[in-house]
Parts: sequence; structure tokens; C-alpha cells
Amino acid sequence: MEVLALVYRNLRVRPVRSLLTLLGIVVATASMVLFMSFGEGLRRALGSELASVGPALLILPEGVEAFSAGYPELPPAVVQKLEAIANEVGITKIIPVTVFVRGGFDPTSSFAFQGLPKGVSPKDIYPNLKVAEGVLLPGARGAVVGGTIAQRNNLSLGKTLRLSPQVSLEVVGVLERTGGLADSVVYVPIEAVRTVLGTPNYTSILLSIRDDRRAEAVAKAIEAQIPGIDAQTSGDVLRFAERAVRISDLVRFGISLVALTVGGLLVANTVMMSVYERIREFGLMRAIGARRRFIFGLVLLEALLLGLGGGLLGLVLGQLASFAVNWYTVREVGLALSAVTPRLALFALLVALALGLLAGALPARTASRISVVEALGRI
Amino acid sequence: MLEAINLTKRFHQGDIDVTAVERFSHRFKAGITAIVGPSGSGKTTLLNLLAGFDTPTEGEVRVQDGGKEVVLSRLDEGSRAGLRLRLMGFVFQQWNLIPTLTALENVAFPMLLAGHKRKERQERAAFLLAQVGLEKRLKHLPHRLSGGEQQRVAIARALALDPPILFADEPTGNLDSASGERVMELIYSQARKGRTIIVVTHNLELARQADRILRVRDGRLLEEVVQ
Repeated sequence: MEVLALVYRNLRVRPVRSLLTLLGIVVATASMVLFMSFGEGLRRALGSELASVGPALLILPEGVEAFSAGYPELPPAVVQKLEAIANEVGITKIIPVTVFVRGGFDPTSSFAFQGLPKGVSPKDIYPNLKVAEGVLLPGARGAVVGGTIAQRNNLSLGKTLRLSPQVSLEVVGVLERTGGLADSVVYVPIEAVRTVLGTPNYTSILLSIRDDRRAEAVAKAIEAQIPGIDAQTSGDVLRFAERAVRISDLVRFGISLVALTVGGLLVANTVMMSVYERIREFGLMRAIGARRRFIFGLVLLEALLLGLGGGLLGLVLGQLASFAVNWYTVREVGLALSAVTPRLALFALLVALALGLLAGALPARTASRISVVEALGRI
Repeated sequence: MLEAINLTKRFHQGDIDVTAVERFSHRFKAGITAIVGPSGSGKTTLLNLLAGFDTPTEGEVRVQDGGKEVVLSRLDEGSRAGLRLRLMGFVFQQWNLIPTLTALENVAFPMLLAGHKRKERQERAAFLLAQVGLEKRLKHLPHRLSGGEQQRVAIARALALDPPILFADEPTGNLDSASGERVMELIYSQARKGRTIIVVTHNLELARQADRILRVRDGRLLEEVVQ
């Protein structure tokens, strides 16, 4: 009790200094929580996105990654080959799609067009989608717009979408918002995208398989029979995404380390100053009979308390910032990009504690090595 | 109980060797021993050696710990601190108390170091503070106490673990005469309980009340006066 009182009251003796130090850790922890929350948010969003996709397999050109919307490279011959082996390997539905992205720095001026073959509706890819107005099938000259993009760009039935000078489509359907990426896509006839891009190729091919077949086995069989393509299951896509997110986690943690280092130096500075101011006090304790490790622990506890307090407050601030980010991204792209998960919260607290521990170690060592005679000489 | 044998302490000050204590030998018995001498005579260095704050260049300090005699000056820092905690109490001239702890917590502090239970610590600290007349000042922080009251808290703390040896280094140096007398009364009253009390002072008036006076000059024991 006296030990905690000693530590707590010592921090309160100079409230402004302690508060400023605490703020340093709060900001460092909050920024780390926010940075890292993007990875967690991305994982969560990807998981739910993939769960909302109906078809079990995704066919991509060999070497192309699941999330790159590159130039369409899959020739129509691949579809024919897939049709030829469909019965044998257990394919029930083949949906070739061509994606065309017209990007801008501002999300409000970015559009993703997904070209669907005749007779295929967005619901065949995302079973959860529901139509809010109009029809679900784009038809030959129509476009069905996702809920978010419709609201953001004020696209209602009858409006004209210009894909290129030659290709214009009329909005024939508006979907309800479902809270996923599908809300930010414009579904158009595949011919329109082919005309714009000037190629008969496909970006990817989605495959549904028989219920009694395992996706991994079907993927293997397809890859064995058709060279030059990758057949990916949702597990493959998730694994790839996890690898990518993990790399970006490291980068984001690296950036947060700058703030954390500054926070750590603040704690070290505060505790070191406090140690120098209390040399006589430590000398007195040693004279009475306190061992070095007691003094070491006392000073370290002070740094740890700053780390823990700053960590907890930083976590709260980080969570608030995460809410703010999500409020914006949900409005703009229909995705909650940031998530403060329990494991992130625990990680942040551990980092804040480690920060306190590291920052307190040197001052604690200094305090524990003060010579009694030297300290008492100052009395 | 406490014995100094041929104690010598030399310091290097630049190129000069300074001998602060030279071949000091004395066996401290129960009762009050006053070490007197002018400023710079080596009194404080002697106290530092006797209490194990510092180690001698030559000679040794022996102390009775339970049934056996221990050479204090040969122990490592941690063991010396442990021995101090169990066997010695200290009252310094000033800066005696931990400023962020209340009077009660200051008195309980050595018991905390010794691992006593909270309830026991609080009860004994309150009892000792009542003994020195501060039963109404338990929750006061040191800056709210007068100099005399602070010294009385320090005496209570020095007695917390009931040590057989009590060191007082100029305990009345900063006090008015009335407070000083009260403080000395309290310290000297401990001699009747069989403690070995070593008072370092240059106040001859105080020293006259001691059982023995050791006169020190230039680090050497000049004479011992038994009263």
C-alpha cells in the first residue's frame, strides 16, 4: 500500500509534468491502435466479403493475385475448356466477369464496373443482394448500381452512366445496401465492358460446384486439366489476403514505432528527472535498510504506472478515432475499415507496458545505484 | 554490541589523500555514547562506517546479530542494508522523512521493508507516534509538521523494528531549544531500554547528558570520558 501510495503521490507532486508525459503515451498508443486497427478491419471485412460470395471458386490467370483488378487476361477459350470438363469435375455454374475500374483520388469519383454475361444477375455472385428499385438484371443496355454508390453519386432509375464516349448505359436497377463491397459496384452487361476495354478476355471466372465436392479438390482437378490458370478457393484468397495484411501490419507498426519511441523517451525523461530530484529520498530509504531492488522496483513501478495509464487512455482514444474512421469509410465505400479487436487492445496495452518497462529501466538502475554516503551528503 | 577496530578511511581528493578517520577503535556498549568534535573532525565519516553506509579503507566494524558476531564492513551492500534494517535505527539532522508519505506511513516504512503485515504496521506505527506525542498527526504529510514534530516522527520510525542500536546525527541541529530538549529526552529515554545509542554532535550541552563522550579530532579518537 505504502509503495503504491509512494509511486502515485510522487506522480501527483508534479501534476503538469506527469500529465504531459501521460498525454505523450496516450497519443502514441492511440495512433498505434488506429494504425493497427486498419489491418484488423481489413481482415474482418474480407472475411465477411468472402462469406457473402456465392460461387466457391475463382479462376484467375496464373500468377495474378486475387485482389488486383488488372487488364483482363483470361481468353474465352478457358470458358469453353471449363464447360467441357464441368460434368467431370463437378462444376454447376460458370460466370465469367470482366471488371473495369475508373479510378480517382477521391472515392466519390471512383467507379468499379463489373461486366456480367447475359442472364447473370448480381445476386448470382452475391446471394444476399436485394433490389430496392427497378430490376436485378442489367439487360443489354442497362446498369444495376450498388446501394452505396447509388446514394453517393445520386444515381436513380433512368439516369445515364457514361463508361466511354461510345458506351452509355441507363440505370435500370438500384440495390439495397448490404454493408459490403458489393454495394459499391456497378453491374453492367459484359459486352459494354469488353467494348470499353477493347478485348474479349475476362478478368476472372467464378465457378459454383456441386454440394458433394470439396472446393480444394475441384480446384486441383481444374488446374491439372487447364494450364495457365489458378483456381482459388475462398480459403486461398483469405490466406493470400492474410499474408498481404500481415505485411502491411508490420509497415503500420513500424510507423507507430516512431510515436511509441517518442512516448517512451518522454517517460524516461520524466522518471529520470524525478530520480535526480529524489536522490536524498532514495539515500534515506537505503540508509534505513531498503535494498537496491526495492528502489529499482519503486522507480520501475512509476514508469509502468505511466505506461499503463497512458495505454488505457490511448486505447479509449484509439477506439474513438476508429469509430470516426469507420463512420467516414462506411459512408463513402460501405466498409468498416477499422476494427479495435480484443487482441489488438491487449497488444496495445502490452506495448504500452513494455514501453513503461523499457523507459523506466535506466532511471530505475540509476536510482538503485545511488551511493548512500553521496545521497546523505546532500542532507 | 557494536565495535570499531582500527577503523581508517582515506579519500582521494584530486592528487591529495585525505584521511578522514584514522585507526579508530572503540567498543560501543549499551547506553548513550556521544561522539563530539568540531566540523570536519570526521564524525560523520565515522558514523557512515559504523552504520555500514560506507566501507573502511582499513580495519573493521563488528556487530552482534542475534547470537553471533558479524563483520559488517565485510558484507556486501545488500546484506549491510538488511542488517541495518534489523539492528539499527537512524535519526538525522534534517530530511529525515519521505515527503510523500504521511507520518504514519513514514513510521511504518521500515516494517514494510521487513515484510510485516499491513495491520501490524499500522498499529505499531500509531502506537509509536502516540509514544512521541503525535497521536493527532498520523495523517499529516511531513511539510505540515514542525521541525520538532518531524524529528519525533523520525524517532518513532527509528524504533519501528525495535533495533538494539540507535544512531542520531545532530538530531537537534535545526531545532529551537525547547523542541531540541524534547527530542533528546525521547532519544535518551531509549537508553533505559538497554539500547546502544550513538549520538554524533558538536553540541557539548547535549553530549554532557551522555554516559560516555568520545572526543574526535582529525579522524582520531582523542579521549573517552565516562560520566
